[in-house]
Amino acid sequence: MIQTLGKPHAISPSAPMQPYWAEIVEIVHEAPGVSTFWLQFLDKNLREGFHFKAGQFNMLMLPGLGEVAISISSDMEESHRIGHTIRSAGNVTSTINRMDVGDVLGVRGPFGSWWALDDCVGKDIVIAAGGIGLPPIRPVLYYVMHHRHDFGKVIVLYGARTPNDLQFTREYKAWQDAGIELQVTVDRGDDSWDGRVGVVPILFYNTRLDPRNTVILTCGPEIMIRFVIFEALARRVPPERIFVSLERNMKCGLGSCGHCQVGPFFVCKDGPVFSFDKLQPYVNVEEF
Amino acid sequence: MAEIQISVGSIVALPKTGLEKLLANLLQMGYRVLGPQIQDGAIVYKPLKSTAELPKGYISEQDSGFYRLVYSGHRRFFDATPGAQSWKQFFFPAFSELASFTRDDHGHWQVEETDTDMTPLALFGVFPCDLAAIQVQDHIFLREEWKDPIYWSRRQSAFILAVDCLHPCGTGFCASMGTGPKANPGFDLRLTELEDVFLVEIGSEAGRLVMEGISVLPTSAFWLQAAQKGLEDASAKMGRSLPDQRELPDLLLNNLNAQQWDDVARRCMSCSSCTQVCPTCFCWDARDFAHLNGQTASRERVWDSCFNPDYSYIVGGNSRPNTRSRYRQWLTHKFGSWYAQFGTSGCVGCGRCITWCPAKIDVTVELLAIREEVRS
Amino acid sequence: MTTEQELVKALQAIPWFQVMTTEHFKKISNIAKILKFEPGQVIFHEGDKEDYLYVVLEGRVAIEISIPGRGRMRILTADAMDEVGWSSVTPVVRQRTAGARAVLPSRLVAFDASELRKLCDEDHDFGYYVMRRLVNVVAGRLMTTRLQLLDMFANPTDYKEE
Repeated sequence: MIQTLGKPHAISPSAPMQPYWAEIVEIVHEAPGVSTFWLQFLDKNLREGFHFKAGQFNMLMLPGLGEVAISISSDMEESHRIGHTIRSAGNVTSTINRMDVGDVLGVRGPFGSWWALDDCVGKDIVIAAGGIGLPPIRPVLYYVMHHRHDFGKVIVLYGARTPNDLQFTREYKAWQDAGIELQVTVDRGDDSWDGRVGVVPILFYNTRLDPRNTVILTCGPEIMIRFVIFEALARRVPPERIFVSLERNMKCGLGSCGHCQVGPFFVCKDGPVFSFDKLQPYVNVEEF
Repeated sequence: MAEIQISVGSIVALPKTGLEKLLANLLQMGYRVLGPQIQDGAIVYKPLKSTAELPKGYISEQDSGFYRLVYSGHRRFFDATPGAQSWKQFFFPAFSELASFTRDDHGHWQVEETDTDMTPLALFGVFPCDLAAIQVQDHIFLREEWKDPIYWSRRQSAFILAVDCLHPCGTGFCASMGTGPKANPGFDLRLTELEDVFLVEIGSEAGRLVMEGISVLPTSAFWLQAAQKGLEDASAKMGRSLPDQRELPDLLLNNLNAQQWDDVARRCMSCSSCTQVCPTCFCWDARDFAHLNGQTASRERVWDSCFNPDYSYIVGGNSRPNTRSRYRQWLTHKFGSWYAQFGTSGCVGCGRCITWCPAKIDVTVELLAIREEVRS
Repeated sequence: MTTEQELVKALQAIPWFQVMTTEHFKKISNIAKILKFEPGQVIFHEGDKEDYLYVVLEGRVAIEISIPGRGRMRILTADAMDEVGWSSVTPVVRQRTAGARAVLPSRLVAFDASELRKLCDEDHDFGYYVMRRLVNVVAGRLMTTRLQLLDMFANPTDYKEE
């Protein structure tokens, strides 16, 4: 985990639970309760050398208050500042969402497995994301835009609860201009929205994919993931080419504290990105 | 007495009076010696200054939800098998500091270096099951890519004096798990306590050094046979067994919806005693504290348990919201997924979870019940 | 292109019509007509008689239910090749339970519902084929509705117990 990325990284081998300090350099309001915090490490070496892969997460820390796992949502190739899209859900996230540019917080990372982009070369990619599941995917989209010719069709199927909750709407045109097909839907709309109303899995109905050459990446509420996988399997995409990002109670990020376990896997270390064939025996067991 | 060559791998005989000298040597070498003593009617591990503090003459009687220390009248030091405590509290303390923060003059948080008590520890009287447990935890906390600093700072200099188990506790099944009643390699010294002498096997260079200056005798065939017989007898009267434990990962992970989970959930109180007494359980929580003056803060590591209500908290709820799912997690992890994660079973057959469960749940019985249910 | 040719071409673009027998295709095209709608134009109102089954050829149609105080809620949209008003084929439901309105400039093919029901009664093979297709539509709608009902994107704090 630590070795494979090469230094530097914000994890101290002699004190792996101690944070490195980073300053908030920009805050972008994305949706009600959701903002992207752009962080820059105070340490120059880290600022210039920190690298992460799409799908990985950092632990963001407020001394005395706690720590929270947040996926990195920015461009891998511009890692001197790193974006974290945060929704207020508990004490730590709500407090971060009240912080200002110039404030400092603790960062540890990067942790976890990543979207297997190397395995997608030459293939079509269908991304099915929902709500706050789009931020962990955004680094993939930046990568695709930088290396568009490496991939076949790239289709994003994205949904959120209401039109207000759609993430990164300002970027949709840039993605489409770069050759990424985007289909958006919301669970409920009103007459000011003339986009689709429905749920992400049914966006598959009008998506033609070749199961022999398609990779599926999915991230969002687990129930949405479950139905997306259902649709993908029904279209004969093999489980080893369906990748999901799971969310569990991540505390240490090191595969040590045990909280994030699903069967034999530590989601923080063996995941959060898994190929579905690995998870198949466990995901449909209730409360496992 | 002729000079006896002591080398790593050799076995010598130590008169009972020599134990005090062994302990003195350890203390003189600067070790903080921890050993079994009686407190509140149970064996606990505390700093040891003299062999007079050892539970000489006591045995422990254990069964499901039952533990008694009984004076047997014998003159042996190490008949009493372990109580609720294990040695994990020393390498993996129940409370330890992860980080400490202070605001500097500009109001920014700075990390303070934490002190680690580096006095080397000597574990005096580690039963074979517990030695195996230490090795299981070594796989967890000392990995190729990363070593837990709190564990490593205590473990790397630790001295282990193991003792073979000749009077099985009754709830243990170490023979089934391959962890006892004879201590496997990994000790610095291994003692087998006979009536008049200890047989001492030198396990390491550190063990050899500690033995310097102590009068020993050569082993005799008689003593070796007595030790062998003692261990065979102990194996035969285990009291509990867990046959075919290597088949358990498949059995458990393929039967996550077995009826037996509902059955045990009716009895289990989710009290987490089993995880506390278990010498291999390693889950922990990070707790954050802020001083009221807002100038200092700290992070502490504390033992946690998969039975605790917030353990499986995820945003939006709890992924294991009831006793059934938690007990299943514990058992399938301990005897199943642990293999995939660390290459060993998570259980060493010490029997503590059976002794200390207030609901008298016996893991060997539960596992057998699942096996029976699946076969039928 | 005459209207009839336009109709046949439009029907042939719909996937489940491409595998119909020639006879069935002829029967259904006889009761079909093409309609055009501008954005905002109502296709049918809540409470209207169930007179047509529609398939969207181009554009987007929103299914709406009006709630006093909350306004017109869009509960689903139908895009190209989606069906609208499937319940007109069932004998029990007689009134539209929701309204339909074009959201984008749309072209729909409308099938006379009572004629369609008659055709199904007369030719059971044809009827089976149509019902099989519509069962799939209903299954998809049910799955969608269930996911919408589960409110899977809700912020967990909305559901936290005090």
